[in-house]
Amino acid sequence: MSSASTTAGGELVRVDGLVKSYGSTRAVRGASFGIAPGEIHALCGHNGAGKSTVVKMLSGQEVPDGGTIRVGAEVVDLRSRQVAQRGGIALVDQELSVVPTLTVAENLLLGDIQASWINRRRTSGERFRTLLDRVGLGHVGLDQRLSELGIGERQLIEIARALGQDARLVILDEPTATLSDVESAYVYTAVRSVAAAGCAVLFVSHRLGEVLDLSDRVTVMRDGAVVATTPVADLTIDSLILQMLGEAPHRLGRRTGRDIEGSAEVLSVSGLTVPGRVATFDITLRAGRVYAVAGQLGSGASDVLRAIAGLVPAATAGITVDGVTVPAGRPAAAIKAGIAFVSNDRKAEGLFLDKPVSWNLLATRLPHVTRLGVLDRRRWSAALAALIDLCGLDGRRAGHDVGSLSGGNQQKVFVGRCLGRDDVRVLLLDDPTRGVDVGGRAAIHALLRDAADRGMTVLFSSTDLEELLDLADVVVTMHKGVAVRRHDGDTAGSVLLREMTHGAATVTEERR
Amino acid sequence: MNALSTPARLDAPASPRGRQRSRADVVINVIVVLAVLAAIVVGLSTHRFATVANAKAIITSASLVGIAALGLTLITIGGSAVSLAIAPTVAAVGMMFLSAQSLGLVPALAIALLCGVVITGVQGAVVGYAAANPVVLTIAASFAITGLAIGISGGASVAPTGSGYDHLNATPGGVALSVYVLIVLAVAVEWTLRRTGFGRSLYLIGANRPAARVAGLPVGRTTAVAWLGAGALFAVTAAFTAAFNTSANVNLGGTLTFDAIAAVLAGGTSIAGGRGSALRTLAGAVLIAGVSDILLLRGYSTGVQIMVKGLIVLFVVVIVHLRTKGSRA
Repeated sequence: MSSASTTAGGELVRVDGLVKSYGSTRAVRGASFGIAPGEIHALCGHNGAGKSTVVKMLSGQEVPDGGTIRVGAEVVDLRSRQVAQRGGIALVDQELSVVPTLTVAENLLLGDIQASWINRRRTSGERFRTLLDRVGLGHVGLDQRLSELGIGERQLIEIARALGQDARLVILDEPTATLSDVESAYVYTAVRSVAAAGCAVLFVSHRLGEVLDLSDRVTVMRDGAVVATTPVADLTIDSLILQMLGEAPHRLGRRTGRDIEGSAEVLSVSGLTVPGRVATFDITLRAGRVYAVAGQLGSGASDVLRAIAGLVPAATAGITVDGVTVPAGRPAAAIKAGIAFVSNDRKAEGLFLDKPVSWNLLATRLPHVTRLGVLDRRRWSAALAALIDLCGLDGRRAGHDVGSLSGGNQQKVFVGRCLGRDDVRVLLLDDPTRGVDVGGRAAIHALLRDAADRGMTVLFSSTDLEELLDLADVVVTMHKGVAVRRHDGDTAGSVLLREMTHGAATVTEERR
Repeated sequence: MNALSTPARLDAPASPRGRQRSRADVVINVIVVLAVLAAIVVGLSTHRFATVANAKAIITSASLVGIAALGLTLITIGGSAVSLAIAPTVAAVGMMFLSAQSLGLVPALAIALLCGVVITGVQGAVVGYAAANPVVLTIAASFAITGLAIGISGGASVAPTGSGYDHLNATPGGVALSVYVLIVLAVAVEWTLRRTGFGRSLYLIGANRPAARVAGLPVGRTTAVAWLGAGALFAVTAAFTAAFNTSANVNLGGTLTFDAIAAVLAGGTSIAGGRGSALRTLAGAVLIAGVSDILLLRGYSTGVQIMVKGLIVLFVVVIVHLRTKGSRA
């Protein structure tokens, strides 16, 4: 790996003034930073700061609207992922893209541009061995199936594959989000050895502890722009959080007239455990309050909600609604007890996309709009009109397929279908405004607050600080499967973010 | 309702892709219209095709497959793809029906229905509650049913033990009784699908099973009930087929399984579930019977008839696929 061709500042890759808009939203407005050969460079920022858009532009998945990307001394035009790969930029994605049913060697061969076309396995064997050694997988055989390896080792195979493409810059997009501590440690070792060999590494992570431990410099983005690129020696967790959030006051306010403990207990969860994901989680929810579980991908926040909804067969928990025990792991039982769930995956387990809005809105209440099993036109249209009104949807679109609506309106339908019903006691929402624009977001927040004011209990999971501060009365932060702390109002946003990204550890314990 | 007159534009205007889509739709529609016109021209120019006697022959030959296909329609719409055990079920139930003739027609019919409902309903319960793969399950079931039927009958044909069955061969008004039954059942199934909570749940479950589970729809129960209904319809087909043949053995079902699937698909019901209707299936069955009839009248061999049946299914499936893909783009 030659590091001869660098820019004037000794940098291997340099981006200048990158701009990218999606429709009217400016995702990135002027991002500039450089990465030196052998450097581990972290890219941090809160949700929506523009990190992933920058990663997409660097890896050839998106073409910038403006600005330049230099690799070595020359300006490159990364039209596609293939072009980026040939230019020496390899991306290790959030989602694993290795094939579990194939062997290690076969996975390394996938997308390998160097392997000869004849007799590929034999001629590549030696090269693959070296690659595996470099990422610390010396103990893994080339003929082992990926399914025999742990998820951390699979992540390493992915890194090895990136190296096999003769990468000069390896981009890791949240490589440890779903890994345990031990598995993460393997990844750190691999990343260090990759950098030691002269490769530049761009490391995107929400875990601030690992960012400080691993990287040489940290670039922080906020609202689509780069705030600063700082050598890690000059950073602490708190100064990093300050860069990410800015000086704006972010506080979880105590909402007027909402005495948290003053109303009846509705849902009680004790000892909720999901093997490998969540360790003994407890929470008690009261009527008319909005609760949040705050945690990044892999923190267990969304597992908690899914388990309460009965959608995790492996979960164990003591769940009661109004004092009546609800058996865990059975969605039908949870629904019967009055627990409604809004999944973060609208397409796969939310809406019926090729069915009309009306069908979707009334799907959960068919027994209420039928008489002796026969659909009753009057009840149907009355219920439909009430719901459409409640959700603020356009009545003329009731007959359109839900799939033709915008993300925000789809989410309104999804949420709305759980509202306005006396039999729903607790509404669970996993990331309630994913893929929803600002306007739709405000509307959904208003819907949920309204529902809470009418006595419904709401519990949502989110990684979004603004959403947490706007919507929740009580926030429970989660980190690596464990509840960190419960906040009953009057908490600074920086504290929440710190706990979500770093756990409960204090500064002195953790600081390098 | 003021909700129905909300003036606000909630969604972005149709994208340019929308216009492309409608152009593609026009092309598809033109192809469909041309195909229908071609079929009509060929039909009318075929000697003796456009006669009342021939129309009766077509609908009579469509009726037995049609009734079974109505049952399959319930299974397919509910997202369980197909049952490959239709023919063995019909054979077993038909044998049961003929051997129960000594009890009289009505008790024999009741036994046949019960038999069909139990055999198919058990499979439906496994598919619905245990999320078994319906194709694999019904392959296994068809061997089990055939084996059991051979075991009990000793492999011999069953002769009727009474003569009550012959009422099913009646031709009131010069048209086979099975045709009336087909029409009544098609209307009944259509009404059930469109106008009942069960029907609506079935469409939703077929469209997106995980979403239906999260929405709290009774996925297992609805699926099982759909298969129960299918079993009853298979049993009706079995009674008519056995009565027509006046004897029944394990081959009574013949090619019924694939004929029923072809009728459902030719009607444009999506194999993926969530779309389709009983009337479409009725149309599909009549279409296949009609085209087979044209080919027969024009003197084509059985081989050609079967091949054309395949081409019809292929044509409709491709058209349906293109249209649904267009509307989801």
